[in-house]
Amino acid sequence: MKHLQLCILLSLAPLVAQAHHSFAIYDSSRQLTIEGTVKEFQWTNPHVWIHVMVKNDKGVEEQWNVECTSVNFLERRGWSRHTFKLGDKVSITLAPLRDGSKGGSFRKVNSINGVEPRFEAEE
Amino acid sequence: MNIRSMRGRRLLGLIAAVGLHAACAAAPAVGPLYADPAHADLSGLWLVTGGFYFAPDKSVPKLLGEYKTTYARRTEAFAKGVAVDDLTADCLPAGMPHQLTVPYPFELMQTLGRVTFLYEYDSAVRRVPTDGSVAKADPDKVTFFGDSYGHWEGDTLVVDTINVRAETQLDFTGIPHSDALRITERWRRKDAKTLENTITLTDPKAYAEPFTTTRIYQLKPKWKIAEYVCEENNRNARDAQGNTSGGAAQQN
Repeated sequence: MKHLQLCILLSLAPLVAQAHHSFAIYDSSRQLTIEGTVKEFQWTNPHVWIHVMVKNDKGVEEQWNVECTSVNFLERRGWSRHTFKLGDKVSITLAPLRDGSKGGSFRKVNSINGVEPRFEAEE
Repeated sequence: MNIRSMRGRRLLGLIAAVGLHAACAAAPAVGPLYADPAHADLSGLWLVTGGFYFAPDKSVPKLLGEYKTTYARRTEAFAKGVAVDDLTADCLPAGMPHQLTVPYPFELMQTLGRVTFLYEYDSAVRRVPTDGSVAKADPDKVTFFGDSYGHWEGDTLVVDTINVRAETQLDFTGIPHSDALRITERWRRKDAKTLENTITLTDPKAYAEPFTTTRIYQLKPKWKIAEYVCEENNRNARDAQGNTSGGAAQQN
């Protein structure tokens, strides 16, 4: 398995709620997918955070911090505080930090422990 | 029971149902958010549509002088990845008029002499008297939400807001205004599931002319207002220069 899969895509549309803190730090014109292990899932406001340990191309683990929208926003899209657990193997697509640091603005979760998650949004 | 009497009972039942329906239609709608039978019912749990810019078409008021400079500085910084002067980065309120377009629901509660907006975002509340009182400009008492006063024009609720602190912005892009801002909202129920708010901003210090946009809100009858506490885990606070660099790179 490739530890870090980079796929840079043009984003089709902004998927984040930008009403709260500015997402200026992220490059919303780019997308990148990381694969790694969940170190921490902060189910908090104003924003939910997923910390993922990702092996770089030298095999060294590095922490990526993925900033999501709010508990309120995600709960209505079917997430809960149990969506990610410590040690889960995940593939997440994000809009990366402009400065190249290891972090990004959440776009999509592709898989959790090899399974594509299904979330049921509220009407 | 013979068939005829069954038909008769059904007919009676139908008449009773129609009568009951007519009685319900004539009486004011009842519910926890509506007790204002003299006026059109705008109550409900609503969610803004049309995106996160103040105007859905992304248009901006014709800014004057220093306000034009301020906005240029903010948009330039934003393009470089830094948000400046963003109150919400420190968990301060979005305030008015930004609160009108945040992508979180609110309950509109309509009672005698008052309309109350119960916002999920920031757990904010906006009380709008509709009892004939009017706003008085007071530069010593400017606030994040200002002072709002409403009156009815037919089926339209008209809300005027003044005394808004100059630090609040129109939206996340940082469109500024001055403390002379007057916000006029015209709320009307377009249909059972749609609320329309035509917003006019008048600001002789900051804008060359009044600026108007229309926002649409969708009824969300199955939703409930949830708690939202920004201070719980804010990793985006502003630095000493007032810039928000974000907390994504922090190893916490």
